[in-house]
Amino acid sequence: MKQRIGVYICHCGGNISDYVDVEELGKMFHQEENVVVSKDVMFACADSNQKDMVADIQANKLDAIVVCSCSPKLHLHTFKNVAARAGLNPSNYVQVNIREQCSWPHSDRPREATVKAAGLIRAGINRVSYSESLENIELTVKKSALVIGAGVSGMKAAIDLARSGNEVFLIEKDFFVGGRIAQKQTLFPTNQNGKEVVTFLYNEMKKFPNITIFTGATVEKVSGSLGNFSVDIKVKPRYIKPSADKRSVERAMGECPVTIHDDFNLGLVERKAIYKNYPEALPDVPVVDAEALKDAHDFTSKFASTLNLNEEAQTLSLIAGSVLVTTGYDHYQPKEGEYGYKTISNVVTLPELNRLMEMNPEKLVYKGKQIKSLAFIYCVGSRQTKGDNKYCSRQCCTSTIHTSLQLKEKYKDIQTYHLYRDIRTYGKQELMYAESSKQGDLYFKYEEKEMPVVSVDGKSTIVKVKDYLTAKKEMEIEADLVVLVTGMVAREDATTISELFKIPIGRDKFFNEIHPKLKPVETVIKGVYIGGTCQGPKNVSESVQSSLAGASKITALLKSGTVSVDPIIASVDANKCTWCGKCSDVCDFTAIKEVLFGEKHVAGVNKAVCTGCGICAPVCPENVIEIAQYTDNEIESMIDGFMMDFDIKEKGTGEVVEVEEEGKVGMKEYPLVWREILAGMTAEKNTIPEIVANTKLAGELVTFHLMTMNRYGVVVPAGMDAKETYYYYKRK
Amino acid sequence: MSRVNPKFATELSKYGSSDFNACFNCGNCTATCSLSTADSSFPREMIRYTTLGLEDDIKASLKPWECYYCGECSSECPRQAEPGELMMSLRRYLTAQYDWTGLSGLLYKSLPLSITAFILTFVGVIVFAFSVGFELEKMIHFGHLFEGIAIGTIGLVILMPNIARMWYFTILKPKTKVPFMKYLKSMGELFIHMFTQKRALGCDDNQFRWFEHFILVIGYLSLLFTTVALNWFGTSSLFVIVLGYVMSAIVFVVTIDFVSSRIKKDKAVSKHSQPSDIFFVVWLFFMGFTAFLVRLFIDLDLLEMNKWLYIFHLTVLVQWALIIVPFGKWTHFLYRSFAMYFAKLKEK
Ligand SMILES: Cc1cc2nc3c(=O)[nH]c(=O)nc-3n(C[C@H](O)[C@H](O)[C@H](O)COP(=O)(O)OP(=O)(O)OC[C@H]3O[C@@H](n4cnc5c(N)ncnc54)[C@H](O)[C@@H]3O)c2cc1C
Ligand code: SF4
Ligand code: SF4
Ligand code: SF4
Ligand code: SF4
Ligand code: SF4
Repeated sequence: MKQRIGVYICHCGGNISDYVDVEELGKMFHQEENVVVSKDVMFACADSNQKDMVADIQANKLDAIVVCSCSPKLHLHTFKNVAARAGLNPSNYVQVNIREQCSWPHSDRPREATVKAAGLIRAGINRVSYSESLENIELTVKKSALVIGAGVSGMKAAIDLARSGNEVFLIEKDFFVGGRIAQKQTLFPTNQNGKEVVTFLYNEMKKFPNITIFTGATVEKVSGSLGNFSVDIKVKPRYIKPSADKRSVERAMGECPVTIHDDFNLGLVERKAIYKNYPEALPDVPVVDAEALKDAHDFTSKFASTLNLNEEAQTLSLIAGSVLVTTGYDHYQPKEGEYGYKTISNVVTLPELNRLMEMNPEKLVYKGKQIKSLAFIYCVGSRQTKGDNKYCSRQCCTSTIHTSLQLKEKYKDIQTYHLYRDIRTYGKQELMYAESSKQGDLYFKYEEKEMPVVSVDGKSTIVKVKDYLTAKKEMEIEADLVVLVTGMVAREDATTISELFKIPIGRDKFFNEIHPKLKPVETVIKGVYIGGTCQGPKNVSESVQSSLAGASKITALLKSGTVSVDPIIASVDANKCTWCGKCSDVCDFTAIKEVLFGEKHVAGVNKAVCTGCGICAPVCPENVIEIAQYTDNEIESMIDGFMMDFDIKEKGTGEVVEVEEEGKVGMKEYPLVWREILAGMTAEKNTIPEIVANTKLAGELVTFHLMTMNRYGVVVPAGMDAKETYYYYKRK
Repeated sequence: MSRVNPKFATELSKYGSSDFNACFNCGNCTATCSLSTADSSFPREMIRYTTLGLEDDIKASLKPWECYYCGECSSECPRQAEPGELMMSLRRYLTAQYDWTGLSGLLYKSLPLSITAFILTFVGVIVFAFSVGFELEKMIHFGHLFEGIAIGTIGLVILMPNIARMWYFTILKPKTKVPFMKYLKSMGELFIHMFTQKRALGCDDNQFRWFEHFILVIGYLSLLFTTVALNWFGTSSLFVIVLGYVMSAIVFVVTIDFVSSRIKKDKAVSKHSQPSDIFFVVWLFFMGFTAFLVRLFIDLDLLEMNKWLYIFHLTVLVQWALIIVPFGKWTHFLYRSFAMYFAKLKEK
């Protein structure tokens, strides 16, 4: 129990003291036992006051302090630091919020505001008197990072991490690195070739002996925590003998008799069952689809010295101090029939068009027909007010416009039509939009409620659109190819990664950071970061920016070999724990494991993993779990403090004065809306829907005003209607 | 339902404007235009029709004639799409559409063709002069006769049918129902606009140009009247002679300012001058100036020199009457006034 407590009550200029009688409170708490200092101060956070506090603490040998001011969100750390400067453990500090919780919301009732503040302050004093000195938890960490996903985000991050001296494991699910950018021939805004960027980054990675790349690899199991994640990965076989020489592998590739679906080219063509995504794909070893070749006995026996169809997958265990997830995105796949996709022969998606353009260097040909005009329909699978994907995919406007510029440059005589909802070529990308208009690309604006319709008219494909730029006229556009500008969605297997690492995912299924501004690449799991498009739609620059931010975070974290984490975590009284396992079941972060305490099996909390969420404490049947700074003693004493009676005098008069009776607050004239509402109360008592019907005012408006009118005693509630759905109101 | 036709843009650019594709429909131009109203808003709408190639809508529209090319919209356009110039080009395009002979279109689109026409008419005049042995008297007599006949024929054969076509495109084809009485009642509109161009006054900062234009129209019409009806070159009435001097002087003095601004390109209207615009002002200047000199030489009795001067004057006159009036920019004088009249008819 703390015996020498200091209490500071802040005026906040007048923000607090205009309504809460802080001087009176200051005097009142001076009489409390254990309170040595109790003062009202003009600005608690002012430098001068902070200095005074330090002096007070030292002069009076205070063992705990309470500052009653604004929200802890604003100044918790300010005053914790004051405590620390005065040589007090920062955990012996409690902040009481009498501004957001008393003066501001109860400005109409100063006395009640003061009473409430008194209760909160007493609760704070009680809490601080039970506070314990806590030290941050120091953890040793391993200087190695696991990067999951070798797209542009993952590769860039791996290079940076390696350059800073970390050991890096880069795990790629596909057999070749590069991710999505390998599928695009020219990338905006630099017009670089996506594959060349991939090759460059791969060669760069090869320069670092401390990067180990695993392709065809997935994460299978994760345990451990910040500083020491232990991760099992499965590496799928390529079915090519390590001893096989390059020429024989190439021969096998050339002679392979079986073809399979070409994922890399989005199914536009087929590929051999021994393949590389594209000739220069890296690592430079092809992959065999063993399943597809299982009946091609002649072929496989001919190449028996090259192929090993019995090769098994390998499982490896890695230890990593920290994890960066860069698993990227999937293309939104239109449903069959969505704008004629798969039902009308010349409807494709933007990624498909990008592949087509690369496959057709001279003339743009699709299904044997030369394409001279294309209609792009924007926002397909994005910005759905009714559907799941509410977000804007952010890069597709620019991608499309850039593709349109490329089309013209590459194939010259081509006309494009753009059916958009809004053009979002933010920043410098705007220039591409201007260029596109100037080259004669035609833009049409449609609204989600009146979507374009793709139909076939004899030999031609027609897109009909209600054009909001031409007074909503119905326009007919004839196009050789209709291109659906599909957005980005979370990877199908994002949920697997999310479950393995406990990274929360949002309703949009992308991984969630802690805070978009303040902690943009951090996840709630300590030591696990996210970067690139697995977090949400981004273009390449933005993807790389975020993954590099993650990489720097990791470097900073691992640099010293130890990390210090907040001490607010759970602790188990091992003497009393009976290891029922209930706490372990409810812990979302798998922080509780069975451990041995002498001979006894008890619950052990992993300090590095526990987030102090508190879920375990109430489920413990023995009540032996405590959360630091939120112990039972602290919480119960706070409740006691708040429940105590106070005798607060109204300012100036020296005696207790009742606040004005309701209804006495005379309004000379009611606002117009009030009068309208009163006029709309035609029956003796009315429900809100009735008043809404009578007045034609918006429902929210009526509800809002009725509440105020009730407070001013103009109307009173008069029971509920028969179905118990609405309250009745009547005039008073 | 309208079918989008991107090829139209290429066709229209032959009439001058080529930047309109840059438009991204922000509407700044319409907001800036001091003549655009809620009921008749432009120029954005016309740009939209043009980029999409909605020919029927363009032909049915009177809006291009409602613009007096102050150029405000072009200077405010964030994409430098030159909306004012587009309106101008649309006027040229419409002129070509209204013309049943199709010659307007050909001459607008091809400078060589225009020059050929000018040369041919010149050759014609020389041949004629040769046939009358370069006798001044006979030439002046013929010139006077030619003027009268040309005005009648061109009016009847070319201009009237063209106005009828304009009426067909803008009123009849879009199925606007106009009661007969309205035609009569709105007549006033036609003449007011024809002689005063009062609408141009609505343009901000445009008062002086309007005034110049107004004086020019009055001067030109009076000069026409003096030469054709009062036979200026043949008369001995002092009043008519002085009137002719004054009117021809007005025409060439005002046109000097117009020509110089076309050369200096200092006003928005003159930035993108097409040959047809240059021909129009330059020939107007020549008309006034040569008429003035011809009469002066008569009065000074410099007959030998006057022969050549008159041949020059006659050439200008013939080119004016056979090329510029029926197929060139002169017609905007008619179409603008009729557009205001038709717009009045279309009003609900
Ligand atoms: C049609 C289109 C055109 C575009 N054009 C451009 C452009 O021109 N310029 C531009 O700046 N941006 C463009 N973008 C955006 C660009 O594609 C992305 O910003 C970029 O690809 C994101 O890279 P990434 O590394 O985050 O993700 P990805 O490229 O998706 O890479 C993720 C990698 O992680 C791997 N992976 C996924 N899950 C796992 C797992 N569980 N375990 C192991 N590995 C896994 C994947 O196989 C992949 O290799 C375009 C996007 C689209 C849709
Ligand atoms: S401590 Fe908080 S309440 Fe007090 S002055 Fe500072 S901001 Fe205002
Ligand atoms: S970037 Fe453009 S096309 Fe993509 S979702 Fe956003 S608005 Fe739609
Ligand atoms: S406080 Fe939360 S994270 Fe910590 S052990 Fe309990 S349930 Fe798990
Ligand atoms: S101001 Fe320019 S860009 Fe905007 S609508 Fe007018 S012409 Fe188009
Ligand atoms: S040039 Fe002047 S009158 Fe013509 S559309 Fe532009 S702003 Fe209007």
